[in-house]
Amino acid sequence: MRKTLTLAALLAASVSNYALAEGKTIAVSWKTFQEERWKTDEAAIKSAVEAAGNTYISTDAQGSAQKQAADIEGLISQKPDVILVVAFDSDAILPSIQAISNAGIKSIAYDVQFEDPNALYITFDNVGVGRIIAEEIQKVKPEGNYAFIKGDKGDPNATFLFQGMMEVLKDGLDSGKIVNVCETFTDGWKPDNAQKNMEQCLTSTDNKVDAVLSENDGMASGVVAALEAQGMAGIPVGGQDGDLAAINRVALGTQTVSVWKNATDLGVTAAAAAIALADGVAMDQIEGVGKFSGGKNGVEMNSILLAPTPITKSNIDVAISAGHISKEQACAGVAAGTVAACD
Amino acid sequence: MSKQGVSNAAPESRDSLLKRFIAATEIDTRMLGMVAALFAVWCAFDIYSGILRPNTGLFGGAFLTPRNLWTLLVQTSSIAVMSTGMVLIIVMRHIDLSIGSMLSLVAVAGAVLQVFILGPSIGVGHPVIWIAAILACLALGTFIGALNGFLTAYAQIPAFIVTLGGLIAYSGVAFLLAKGVTVAPMDKTFKIIGGGVPASWLGPFWSWALAIVVCVLIFLGIVGGRRQRQRFGFKLRPVWGEATLIAIGSAAVLGATAVLTSYPWPFGLIKQYAEENNIPIPAGVENPDGDAICMVGEKVVRCTEGLIYYTGFAVPVLIALGVGVVMTFIATRTRFGRYVYAIGGNPEAADLAGIDTKKMTVKVFALMGFLVGISAVIASARLDAATNALGQLNELFVIAAAVIGGTSLAGGIGTIYGAILGALMMQSIQSGMALLNLPAAFQNIVVGTVLVFAVYVDQFYRRRVK
Repeated sequence: MRKTLTLAALLAASVSNYALAEGKTIAVSWKTFQEERWKTDEAAIKSAVEAAGNTYISTDAQGSAQKQAADIEGLISQKPDVILVVAFDSDAILPSIQAISNAGIKSIAYDVQFEDPNALYITFDNVGVGRIIAEEIQKVKPEGNYAFIKGDKGDPNATFLFQGMMEVLKDGLDSGKIVNVCETFTDGWKPDNAQKNMEQCLTSTDNKVDAVLSENDGMASGVVAALEAQGMAGIPVGGQDGDLAAINRVALGTQTVSVWKNATDLGVTAAAAAIALADGVAMDQIEGVGKFSGGKNGVEMNSILLAPTPITKSNIDVAISAGHISKEQACAGVAAGTVAACD
Repeated sequence: MSKQGVSNAAPESRDSLLKRFIAATEIDTRMLGMVAALFAVWCAFDIYSGILRPNTGLFGGAFLTPRNLWTLLVQTSSIAVMSTGMVLIIVMRHIDLSIGSMLSLVAVAGAVLQVFILGPSIGVGHPVIWIAAILACLALGTFIGALNGFLTAYAQIPAFIVTLGGLIAYSGVAFLLAKGVTVAPMDKTFKIIGGGVPASWLGPFWSWALAIVVCVLIFLGIVGGRRQRQRFGFKLRPVWGEATLIAIGSAAVLGATAVLTSYPWPFGLIKQYAEENNIPIPAGVENPDGDAICMVGEKVVRCTEGLIYYTGFAVPVLIALGVGVVMTFIATRTRFGRYVYAIGGNPEAADLAGIDTKKMTVKVFALMGFLVGISAVIASARLDAATNALGQLNELFVIAAAVIGGTSLAGGIGTIYGAILGALMMQSIQSGMALLNLPAAFQNIVVGTVLVFAVYVDQFYRRRVK
């Protein structure tokens, strides 16, 4: 943590030096760096911003809504052109966003939504992720008994993902082609809890499960372990995150799809949008902007929703060529001739 | 000598049958109560799940089936192993809140060693890998445990603070070690410890052989105990009491074996095994509810008569039982164990009596760490992966298991078998509710309530005994 702080201090110091330099200043208020993905996002934004001759500054709220409010005050006082905010708490952040607008600075809600009509919301289509998982599973198993391993009950994403799945499966469920045999939340999105839930699901249905929709890849690892113990590995299993181990499972055939949200794509898109805003382009004139009002309070916002990439056996090379995973990792233990990308 | 036994029991003849039985067998009534409560919970789950979805259980449900009981034991083993160590920690008036994070750290370290370091350098599947991984897990666990103990004993920081710091810090180390990714898959041999592959199932022959050996040991143990009492002129149990103990013990072992050996291999695995080993599959009649496999024409199908294998004891369960026996021995039969209880009963008195309480603290925490190492191996082998989320919050379940099992937070009191029964109770409730498809929020409410209720009953019982 101390390291991050010194880093932030160094960055802040370097900003005061460069404040007179040419170009615009793009600021980011991160909520945390505890999860590895944010480092990928940051690298993408930073390099895109700097490549265009602009300055990048940032703060890390270390998982605290209070610190984030103070962080944003600090950023405002440095007079950047645009502030991207990864909100730790999407309600508590609203006064800070108001302060940004009052200072005449543009704001972008990065990946986590907060409902302020003056901000641009850039994220992956989360309902879409659930939809893609369901579509890919339905492609290989159009009818049968489906089990749903949902994420933590306190996380709204768990519900968004499930909504997306239900949109796709509704017809099948209504006509009885698809039967929902188990549906459980998983405490803390933990793989070992998912494994236990899957074991109990298999016990209660006497193994009459034809496909499993897991809301992320970590839990899918627990699901596959439970299926393997029953000699059922290989039935369709869906997940998301593009976990390295999950991509390997896709190559091995124990998982059907891992929906991958390429954080680099998101960072590059956000950086481009931020630079455009800084140059004075109107929010609704930026490439790819549409209207979004699917949030908690239904506030209409300008938004860019990126489509995630489903990784299946047929397109593992996409993740490999993007540098997300090495070929060795993706193809560990894969028999020759079974997966094109591994040969 | 048997006459003496009878004369001992005579003055109590006016007492109820149950009281005489308990006096004669010297069975711990708290354990009797726990076992009864466990059975009640099991029956309730079986009846309730039977109403929702009829199955083959004792009361028509899915809980009291060989399959579910087998799974339940495997699911319990990791927590059960750690709970035996937690008993000694709590008995010594300490606490260890760091074991969940420690488990993730140790599991991730073991997995990184297997998958990222040894796998690529000496070849995936090399026998050195699984041995090195297990030894590394045990050594790392012991080291971290000893560190906790050292800080508690010599730096005189309360164990609560040391291990609270550990709870936060170790999970951070686990995250950095694997850079936040899931490390998988584990070595093929290493996976046997998790109980998820046929190689980790003992099968009926070895399960029964083991059961018979254990029965003989129970017999010899009780006979030997009686000799010992005679030698020192202690009061003896009546012969019928001894005989009943042997009968109950053997019946429990044989009953458990009978249940576990009647859980057949999953259909898919029998087929896989037969194909891999070129075992001929007999022809038969298809029956989708059967557990065996047979050929109908060219197709392999499920049927009642045909090729079938049964699981029996799984490796993680044997490990947990082994740990239980060894830890009971350590707690009750060694100087080390006596010291732990002496320190827990009265630390000052123990110190004045010449026990090196600081060294003992380090040893007990190191033992806890060693057990966390075992659990880390079981948990990561079972999941076939390790992540920094694995094991998180396990400390709460382990402490709850020890407390439900009758370990007193005031120190000095606690039994190993109680903690194992406590772990089984916690897991039974969780698995049972997952079986009923109850929402997770509801499960948390019930588990929390059971914990508080169990301690209340325990206090009530203790006051009455006094």
